[in-house]
Amino acid sequence: MRPLTLRRVLWTCALLAGVLFAVCVAALKLGAVPISVSDLIVSLARVAIGRSDQLPLDYRLIVFDLRLPRIVLGALVGAALSVAGAGYQALLRNPLADPYVLGVSSGSALGAVLALQFAPQIAFATPLGAFVGAILTITGVYYLGRREGQLDSTTLLLAGIISASFLSAIIMFLMTTLASRDLRGMAFWLMGDLSTPLAPNLRWFFLVALVVGIGAIYTTSADLNLLVTGEREAMHLGVDVTRVKLVVYVAASGLTALAVSASGAIGYVGLLVPHAMRFLFGSDYRLLIPASALGGAIAVVLADTLARTIIAPTELPVGAMTAIAGAPLFIFLLRRSMR
Amino acid sequence: MQVTDDLGRTIEVPQPVRRIVSLAPNLTETVFALEAGDRVVGDTSADDFPAAAKSLPHVGDVLAPSLEEIVALHPDLVLATNDLNRRATVEALARMGFAVYVTHPQSIDDVLNSTAQIARLIGAGPRGDAVIAGMRERLDALAKRLSGVPPRRVLFVVWTEPLMSVGKHTFLADALSRAGAQSVVDIADGWPQVSFEYVLKLQPEYLVFAGSLRDANAPPEEQLSKLPGWRDLDAVRDGKIAVVSSAIDRPTPRMVDAIEELARLLHPEVFAPGAAAGGGAALIAPETSTEACLACAR
Repeated sequence: MRPLTLRRVLWTCALLAGVLFAVCVAALKLGAVPISVSDLIVSLARVAIGRSDQLPLDYRLIVFDLRLPRIVLGALVGAALSVAGAGYQALLRNPLADPYVLGVSSGSALGAVLALQFAPQIAFATPLGAFVGAILTITGVYYLGRREGQLDSTTLLLAGIISASFLSAIIMFLMTTLASRDLRGMAFWLMGDLSTPLAPNLRWFFLVALVVGIGAIYTTSADLNLLVTGEREAMHLGVDVTRVKLVVYVAASGLTALAVSASGAIGYVGLLVPHAMRFLFGSDYRLLIPASALGGAIAVVLADTLARTIIAPTELPVGAMTAIAGAPLFIFLLRRSMR
Repeated sequence: MQVTDDLGRTIEVPQPVRRIVSLAPNLTETVFALEAGDRVVGDTSADDFPAAAKSLPHVGDVLAPSLEEIVALHPDLVLATNDLNRRATVEALARMGFAVYVTHPQSIDDVLNSTAQIARLIGAGPRGDAVIAGMRERLDALAKRLSGVPPRRVLFVVWTEPLMSVGKHTFLADALSRAGAQSVVDIADGWPQVSFEYVLKLQPEYLVFAGSLRDANAPPEEQLSKLPGWRDLDAVRDGKIAVVSSAIDRPTPRMVDAIEELARLLHPEVFAPGAAAGGGAALIAPETSTEACLACAR
């Protein structure tokens, strides 16, 4: 593999950003209500020159109130989950780590459900509850995944998968017993779905927290390159292992919590995307982190566009789409790692 | 016109209402019963009554309709119901400035009230008053007829596998009581999934099914006597199985027909020939009906 240069990082990111832009434009065009490309361009141009009042109301609502916020949310959620997945994979030295497989998504969902139940008036309670749930879950899974003081790859995965199913069962239990239940909401937390727009007062918080989380993991990327060879080796090479682990665990769990509080537990994105990026661009974390952020955005926007259109006007949850693509890849990687 | 819906939301509905999108089968049916069916411009793929509702443009299913399709239909009023639709759908539409009226009937009186409210919103005029007065009259007549008659202890089967029944504070529990029946299941609100052992212990006098059993063509006794567990119920052995029109589990004006029908099935002696009003036994309606309730229970 050629040495990583800043030039290559920038070119790769520019390429992925271009693909993301094209996917977003396609996602803006496609939907239950057909909109032609020329109408779309005219609408976008009118908005760009501040003449949105000249648009037909339909277009304004469908393109700018429904599709665009959903595409942006999908991109942000995809970026968060992919970077979280890449972070967990480096830290746990396990190619199969992913917020969903490790149970962190389910822990976040449970935290969010509890927060919604006990503090429905406080907008920030949901992401905060999701964050607490994520941190507790990853801590628990980390300790359950050890054998004789060492992190064991298979035990860790089993601990994650069992925790995910246990936590999902608690969510189901709560949803069926709580008096003020919204049973239709259950699938949302368990499966992941982008049809609910982000509350307007949370938008800026979400964006800032996402940038901080991805940025924090990016600052450790040189250390992560060394950490994947082993903690002791990294320590000998001068890496402050404790600090890096703390930063990445907190940031990855925070990113998962953000994604889950906005869209429920969308699975396998954190597995699928970093692997695709490694395959395409190599495994240097200084490129892998930004590439995963952009690739995750592309993947989720694409998956959600499919979810919105294949049986339109009815919509599928996006989590169903990502699981269809992600679960076979998980099996493939598992078999390869056992060989 | 400003109104408060069943969830306590205050909404402003522009008058006159010319274009209605209905997100639940019972609401579509209600608007048709108010003779305003020509103003329904969109409904869901679950809407099947009256037949005209099937050919209207569908905006998706009740749980995940396409908001885009709803927007594109320019509705003056969107009708939704708490048991079937998602709160997120309602909130997203409201945020875009659409008037969304949400019903949440927990009793027959609630059904009457929301029907009256919808009639007022869409300006159904004398037809609306007539529909509601007719419902009240028939329910009062039935209550008079059944007064003093001890209620039958019934198990209302929403779904057989898993066994799902009707809980407290539902329009269906109230419908049963107005038909001279008392649900043996009174453990929970909503649509509880109950254990079969519990039912065996309670031994209901009658089993009540809405619409049909799994196989609409075979006699219900025969189907149930083949199922383990079910065949040990006294009601199955004695053939005390009432299959009532699927309208029973839809809060609409037609529900009164189903309540009367069930009363006749459960209390044939009260409606025997010679007694005042006609006592025609109801027929099994060969249609599936429980999807709607299954969806709301899941």
